[in-house]
Amino acid sequence: MLRFIIRRVLWTIPVILVVIFMTFMLMRMIKGNPFQNTERAVPESIQRNLDRQFHLDQPWYTQYFYYVKGVFTFDLGPSLVQRNQTVNDIISEHFPVSIKLGLGAFIFAVIVGIPLGILAALRQNTAWDYGAMTFANLGFSLPSFLIATLFVYIFALRLKDYTHLPTNGWDGPSTWVLPMIALGIYPMTYFARLVRGTMLETLQQDYIRTAKAKGLRWRVVVSKHVLRNSLIPAVTAAGPLIGYLITGSFIIETIFGIPGIGRYYVISVTARDYSVTMGITILLAILIIVANLFVDILYGFLDPRTRDERT
Amino acid sequence: MSTDPRDTSFEAVHTSTAEVEEETLARSTHRRRSDFEDTLTRTAEGQGREAGGALPRASLWKDAYYRFIKNKASVVAAVAFVALLAFCIFVPIFSNEDPYAVDFSQAYEPPSLEHPFGTDQFGRDVFVRTALGGRVSFAIGFAATFAIMLVGITYGATSGFIGGKLDNALMRFLDALYGLPYLPFAILTLAIFGTVNFWTMVVALTIASWFTTARVMRGQIMTLKQNDYVRAAYAVGASRQRVLWRHLLINTLGIIIVFVFLELPGVILGEAFLSFIGLGINPPKASWGTLAQDGYTEYQVHPWLIVIPSLMIAWLILSAFFIADGLRDALDPRMKEA
Repeated sequence: MLRFIIRRVLWTIPVILVVIFMTFMLMRMIKGNPFQNTERAVPESIQRNLDRQFHLDQPWYTQYFYYVKGVFTFDLGPSLVQRNQTVNDIISEHFPVSIKLGLGAFIFAVIVGIPLGILAALRQNTAWDYGAMTFANLGFSLPSFLIATLFVYIFALRLKDYTHLPTNGWDGPSTWVLPMIALGIYPMTYFARLVRGTMLETLQQDYIRTAKAKGLRWRVVVSKHVLRNSLIPAVTAAGPLIGYLITGSFIIETIFGIPGIGRYYVISVTARDYSVTMGITILLAILIIVANLFVDILYGFLDPRTRDERT
Repeated sequence: MSTDPRDTSFEAVHTSTAEVEEETLARSTHRRRSDFEDTLTRTAEGQGREAGGALPRASLWKDAYYRFIKNKASVVAAVAFVALLAFCIFVPIFSNEDPYAVDFSQAYEPPSLEHPFGTDQFGRDVFVRTALGGRVSFAIGFAATFAIMLVGITYGATSGFIGGKLDNALMRFLDALYGLPYLPFAILTLAIFGTVNFWTMVVALTIASWFTTARVMRGQIMTLKQNDYVRAAYAVGASRQRVLWRHLLINTLGIIIVFVFLELPGVILGEAFLSFIGLGINPPKASWGTLAQDGYTEYQVHPWLIVIPSLMIAWLILSAFFIADGLRDALDPRMKEA
């Protein structure tokens, strides 16, 4: 097991390097120069100084080297557009907001989605099941911008005299509730459907019949045998969902006016703020890689068969 | 039966797929008893096939068809999907409304008999505009899905078929790409192009989402390669190229069709997201995402303007999903395990 973990951890290093390289090359292909984008043209001498300061006069591999060094020493350089801020400043200001939003949405998804899936599976083909699955299919297919907009419409316009949930900004727990739910609905339905499917499959297994036959109470059968075996796939699903929760927040952040990293990312792309765009892209990529790493290791603990096959 | 060795290998393909299918179907009876009857009939058919009855390929697809129409949800979904497609194609042709005519006296009319979906801020009929938006969304969706299939299948099949060191390298590279977040990656690609039009959108969506298809294809080819009929084909002197096309790729056709219906809604939703954050294709063309974004600016007073295009997207996602679900069960029961 230890060998598996070490191998898996070491493997993330080349992956991260490739991701940095890809992002770096993509950024270099974008036409235009951040300093020519400003309203006043910069004199040539200053242009040259700026180029030197940001290593823009060096060949690409030197720039790449500086950049990789920067990533591993947690120094992503200054913002090219917002003169007084470094990329680190921007990330440390906006990223925690997105993390909190994503985490809240994830918790919502787990505590609502998994019980919903269990309920639907245990009451298969009853009104409970159909109700839960209709709800899950709706949440799965409605685009998040519609859900978020409807939340704002309902809570800020229609129900404003009854509820006092703010729909704009990010100051205090009451402003967190709606964006977290809006972002969490898709992963919630994902968990619900997945858990329902694996539960139904587990319920058909011979060892469940044996457990029932030997007179075990149904409650015990479900908690000891069914649940344990059917929640494992939910762990694997968690990896990609973490990626969704971070990148999916682009739209939620825009609609609810939340100062998170997603909204800032779009701004940085249109402003040609190279260093910020790259910094955020790589940060998100590393986050997804690390999340997948944890999921794989966790899965290795839960299901020993996967240890040797996956590296 | 001719003495041409190719015919022997062709026979071999279908006998052994039939065997595999019988086996998987037999296994699935543990899960659902209603399948038992099905298995019986299918086994009988399989025997008929071995005896050299009807054309094997035709009956394979016929089987799939019968299994598909037994799944009610999938049939409803298929009808819904075709209806949506027909709506987008035919409404602009048969409507008398000019989707680009500006008439401010008719702006923001709620849904009525004359304008089933109401009118927008310029007094344009939303019903026709939604259909036109659907055309753009579908066009981008189909083009990008096609490109994803092309890239994914080529990459995956190359990796799986050649194997060895090349496979290792290609798969490690794919692992690394998996780390790249979907939306930022598409946004970056659009930024490189500098402009957003139909083709740049297709390329951006393709680049950001071909990985899964490649990985699944590679897995499929690897599994199929182990089959006895592949060895048999080589033994009778089939070239590698022939084995790849006639025995491996042709047998992944079912999975490819399923994947088309899985990727299509994903791509259309991705396009809608990009349009919604202002990176959509330029007006006057409008996709559902662009329409939703237009509607978003007015949601406080005229909520239907965002609700309608969003519901179209939801309709598409749901129907495509249930079609894919039914097709998966119908075309390749083995995929359930994967």
